[in-house]
Amino acid sequence: MAAVDIPLVGGHAEDEHGDPHANYLKAKHGIASWMLTVDHKRIGLMYLTMVSIAFLIGGVFALLVRLELFTRGKTIVDGETYNRFFTLHGAVMVFLFIIPSVPAALGNFFLPIMIGAKDVAFPRINLLSFYIYLLGLAVILLSLVLGAVDTGWTFYTPYSVQTANSVLSMTMGVFILGFSSILTGLNFLVTVHTMRAPGITWQRMPLFVWGMYATALIQVLATPVLAITLLLLFSERFFGIGIFDPKLGGDPVLFQHFFWFYSHPAVYIMIVPGMAINSELIATFSRRAIFGQFAIAMSSVALAILGFLVWGHHLFVAGMSEFATMIFSALTFLVAIPSGVKVFNWTATMYKGSIVWASPMLYAMAFIFLFTIGGLTGLFLGTLSVDVHLTDTYFVVAHFHYVMMGGTVIAFLGGLLYWWPKMTGKMHDETKAKIAFWLVFVGFNTVFIPQFIMGSRGMPRRYYDYLPQFEPFHKASTIGSWILATGLFLTAYTLLEALWRGKRAPRNPWGSAGYEWMTDTPPCLANFHATPVFTRGPYDYHLATPEELSTGWDEVEAESAGAHGDKSHRDKTKKNGEAKR
Amino acid sequence: MANVSESAHGEVAHDGHDVHAHAHPDFLQHHFDTPAQQFDASKLGMWVFIATEILMFGGLFCAYAIWRGLEPEIFDQAHHFLNKILGATNTVVLLFSSLTAALAVRSAQVGKRNATSAYLIITILCAFVFLIVKYFEYSHKFHLGLLPGHCFGHPGMSAAIQNGEEVGTCLRMQGDASPVMPEWVKAVDESGHVQLLSPRANMFFGLYFVMTGLHLIHVLVGMSVLTWVLIKNLRGTFSPQYFTPVDLGALYWHLVDLVWIYLFPLLYLVGKPE
Amino acid sequence: MATEHAHAAPEDDGNVHVHVASTQFYVGIFAALILLTLLTVRVSYYDFGSANIIIALVVATMKASLVAAFFMHLRYDKLFNTLAFLSAFLFLAIFILLTYDDLGVRGRRSPSYITTVDPRTGEPAPGGEPATSATSNELPGEAPKEGRGSAEKK
Repeated sequence: MAAVDIPLVGGHAEDEHGDPHANYLKAKHGIASWMLTVDHKRIGLMYLTMVSIAFLIGGVFALLVRLELFTRGKTIVDGETYNRFFTLHGAVMVFLFIIPSVPAALGNFFLPIMIGAKDVAFPRINLLSFYIYLLGLAVILLSLVLGAVDTGWTFYTPYSVQTANSVLSMTMGVFILGFSSILTGLNFLVTVHTMRAPGITWQRMPLFVWGMYATALIQVLATPVLAITLLLLFSERFFGIGIFDPKLGGDPVLFQHFFWFYSHPAVYIMIVPGMAINSELIATFSRRAIFGQFAIAMSSVALAILGFLVWGHHLFVAGMSEFATMIFSALTFLVAIPSGVKVFNWTATMYKGSIVWASPMLYAMAFIFLFTIGGLTGLFLGTLSVDVHLTDTYFVVAHFHYVMMGGTVIAFLGGLLYWWPKMTGKMHDETKAKIAFWLVFVGFNTVFIPQFIMGSRGMPRRYYDYLPQFEPFHKASTIGSWILATGLFLTAYTLLEALWRGKRAPRNPWGSAGYEWMTDTPPCLANFHATPVFTRGPYDYHLATPEELSTGWDEVEAESAGAHGDKSHRDKTKKNGEAKR
Repeated sequence: MANVSESAHGEVAHDGHDVHAHAHPDFLQHHFDTPAQQFDASKLGMWVFIATEILMFGGLFCAYAIWRGLEPEIFDQAHHFLNKILGATNTVVLLFSSLTAALAVRSAQVGKRNATSAYLIITILCAFVFLIVKYFEYSHKFHLGLLPGHCFGHPGMSAAIQNGEEVGTCLRMQGDASPVMPEWVKAVDESGHVQLLSPRANMFFGLYFVMTGLHLIHVLVGMSVLTWVLIKNLRGTFSPQYFTPVDLGALYWHLVDLVWIYLFPLLYLVGKPE
Repeated sequence: MATEHAHAAPEDDGNVHVHVASTQFYVGIFAALILLTLLTVRVSYYDFGSANIIIALVVATMKASLVAAFFMHLRYDKLFNTLAFLSAFLFLAIFILLTYDDLGVRGRRSPSYITTVDPRTGEPAPGGEPATSATSNELPGEAPKEGRGSAEKK
């Protein structure tokens, strides 16, 4: 396939959006051109900036939590403040970072490009969703100032109804953020249905797009229930309507049902995009078509749907009826299957592939390893009888950090490193990226493996103080958090450094067959210079022409011939970038 | 191929013009290829949004279903304090407004600008009637003290009656660990019978106010949306090729009607008749 | 005005083609909706026991279907719009059913779980208490029934 040169239907010359053929970063200038942009790429970058800040805030709270737990009793703060730290860590990480992260930052940027569209279906709603996110962020920061919440990010009643802390502003912030999520999901759903370029059938659609689509399904169907949950919490707090209060005929477990009906699918909003990125990374760095492409696509949709059926596994010891617990436990086993399909297919893809150990691939490998641990421990927790012992211990904490951080964050970092050249036109330093990866990997496991162990030995979660036998584990975990933080800071530094010191990236530095690599690096404003027609799939290395797969490093090197350059870096990439035919 | 530069989105008045396959009409946004694609995308987007609204209200219906299943006596008794006739009137008003909204879309589809405006105005007026009826219903309950939460039994949201005067308010910024229990309420129901409502009947009224209150907010939003569509229509923005905002505004209004179609029987009609 | 129907296969010229129904048709649907409303109000004056709510919901669903299919044009739209609409109800049903299967049995205990006597000591077992106030018909402010505290007596 060479992109057939069809003039853009309804194409314009330069209009108020800028020259459609210019580099999107340079098409318009000035801060207003960013704050009022409707270009999905710029919106994606703005989201990326904000979620990174949110990650920093949430990460600082995590470091504070771990620091407090370094020794028994009081280390730096009292119990009440500690409760606020872990609540804020959870709320900021879940609602401000991880749920928007991949869809709003990378999804916004790449979904239209990967289906050959000029933008998402509703660009102005896209911008609106960003401003709603900012508003939600502001309200949550307000709640911090007003004294913060200590209920845990799950806001369980009756405590959240009775506590004097700033529950109202925190839940209002979350309520607002929910709408940002809904609008993003709505946009993606309609875009995928109505704006695919000629030749992109559902079967050929890149797996990243399938992942965004499945995520959008969940966002649209689950988040409204969060909205009504928070509204009922507000009514309970302010009017005392009694729906969660046993003295007035209500039931606090009802709150948990309402809350987890959203929050369980929410964890699939978190992981499915990470898996979607992983599919892209594994295909590119194995230089092979993904094994079972349509099966992986369907498994994303299956996760989306099955994820709605299992929320009760968060309520196993809350006092649910036995019948309900049995149903939910059985359904929880079902939901592990699609994840298994993906892991097997990725492994099969790598078999006899031509593996390139670039930094994104290291993250992809780490994802498989860490997500498998997280997923398997999820099955332990889904087993009703075992859960009675493990629930509300550090085992649960370790489990969800393995899937959320070892899964989504790892994939997010891998995706950032993979697509950084495409988004910015600059190449980052691979050496630093790899060192940072190992720090992250070692640090992460040092934090959380001790937590599995102490959780299974009875250390409860959200506890300020603990018994002496857990102290070595807590100390190890805290030291791990410092290693992890160092790795993350180094990754951030590597990416930012590329912006002013990085080499100019060629069109396709990784030699990928993916659709997004067929256009300029960075993309032009309209994404493609002509409406593309795709006659092969995005992973069809056997069908792609050498010109499509060429990395373009030769041209870049020729341009800076004789100048300083990381020669070893260039040679390595060039050698690995060549196809084995 | 014509390379028409894009004007501001659809603000310029133009009659329904012939759209050739290659022309670039003013209302066509830059990222869409054809008006049909834009229309389909807008409709799908609206339906996805409607699905989210159904799920949001659905949570309240879930709470209703569960409470009704567990405390049927409270629901049976309390619903007699809702006026069926007023509720039915509101139902008819909303159904009629749905009709006029559908007719407004039809008029826009065939390019009849004045008819579209007329139907939109009638729809908005019906919404006002709905609001007025709701006002009467709410104020009646307010005076009887049939209010949600700890305000049940406190007419006018008073906290206490001392020497015939109200003292303070029953609202609180947060729930209490040991709340002051709602009071028993003796009141005349809509059939004229005096009934003694237990303090737990505040559950019913809590759901009633939250459900109808959320619906009311949507009515207000719907009125604003329809007013905005009306203004755009008066400026001549729409044509048989582009009437999407009328269509989407009407869809939102129909959603408001749909929710009421379920709210009305569940709150007003189901219960043991006298 | 005569009803204009679009062709079954929409022309692929990129223009917007919609099915335009006649005013009489819409008024007819409105008349049906009013009839159904009158029916449901009339029926509410009679007691059919547990069928009351079923009848009310069935009639409400018929009205909602008319509004959705004809006023909201789902009948003549792309099928996926209808799917989006119905899937919301599907997931709502899942939510209500699975929540109800827990909340609906609140307070009822499985017979195998009822122990009133600790088998080791013969003493009254702490778990053998009767139902809590949330599920009893006692009203707040009233004294609890006799016998609730008996399990605690040694």
